[in-house]
Amino acid sequence: MVAEMHPHEIELFEYVEDELPQARRKEIAAHLATCGVCAEQVGLAAAGREAMRGTELLELPEDRREAILRNLPAPERVQGEGRAFSPKLVLAGLTALLLLAAVIGVLVNSRGGAGMESSAGGTAAEDATAASGGGVESSQAKSSLFLSGPAAAVAEDLRRKGFKATVQADRVVVRGATEEQVREALADRDPGDVEVVVKNP
Amino acid sequence: MEDPDAPLVERARRGDRRAFEQLVERHQHRLLTLAARTLGSADEAADAVQEAFIRAWLGLPRFRGGSLFSTWLYRIGLNAAHDQRLKRRTEPLDEVREPADPQDSFLMSELSSALQAALNQLEDDYRVAVVLYDVLGCSYTEIAELTDVAEGTVKSRIFRGRSRLAELLGTRTAEE
Repeated sequence: MVAEMHPHEIELFEYVEDELPQARRKEIAAHLATCGVCAEQVGLAAAGREAMRGTELLELPEDRREAILRNLPAPERVQGEGRAFSPKLVLAGLTALLLLAAVIGVLVNSRGGAGMESSAGGTAAEDATAASGGGVESSQAKSSLFLSGPAAAVAEDLRRKGFKATVQADRVVVRGATEEQVREALADRDPGDVEVVVKNP
Repeated sequence: MEDPDAPLVERARRGDRRAFEQLVERHQHRLLTLAARTLGSADEAADAVQEAFIRAWLGLPRFRGGSLFSTWLYRIGLNAAHDQRLKRRTEPLDEVREPADPQDSFLMSELSSALQAALNQLEDDYRVAVVLYDVLGCSYTEIAELTDVAEGTVKSRIFRGRSRLAELLGTRTAEE
């Protein structure tokens, strides 16, 4: 009875790839001997396989490879990863704080001006933040996603992955998803200037 | 599955350009083959590869190692190729690309072959599955992960893609 039914195309594929258990392979071979439709499908798939397997890898031209290596931009850090705990940046921040504290001390001692403390204190915080990169980090953490475009490509990429994404005024608007889901779906895109806005109903 | 690229990836994640250069060396031809066979254009494929490696370099700090590096890289490559295709559609008609370097004659002849002409006519999903499996030798699991479908769907796509390809090649041969 089974031999009279057409096998599923996945089994026909596995037959071509010789991935079936021996008993099932024999059954399918028996079916193919009597079924012209399946035998033709298998014949075509095998011919397509041979055509593709005869191809070689194509080589990237040397000048293109050199251009890639030449044009690599400075590496970026992920928000919250590496940067916040980088020993070099922490050291730079501490150094900036110490230097500023020393300057404030000198100013207070030489002028006796209590008014300078508050103003200098604000600058110290800014300097420490700038040295550690924390200011940039915190402002980015609150913003929308900014990824490499074009916007239409990002939107189509999202739609292919099942999201409701549209392009509105050069921005990609995603509805009915969380920012985390969108972020994960676009994890393989690098940062850029296309804004992706996630709107939940 | 242990990733053979893991040690280099770890170094590259920390900004080691030499390590990334070695990753480029390892994957450049496979990535070009994927882009060229799916786009059918040498220039656009080389642009996509260049873009993909730059995106990978910038995105490495976000790569968590949840998949093989090669799978992640191919996905970036497919996205870059897709962007190239969109760009092609939106480019003004009178904008002419510079011709490819004549030294890439093998690349050019491959992309003007009957096989490539047939590949160009396949549905995108079939073409990508066939190239990943038959040319690059990716596993079903890798292709499923790369294309967001089940392994059974991957097998169906390869089967149908190969069959259609053979039909197209047969038709073409008969016409010539």
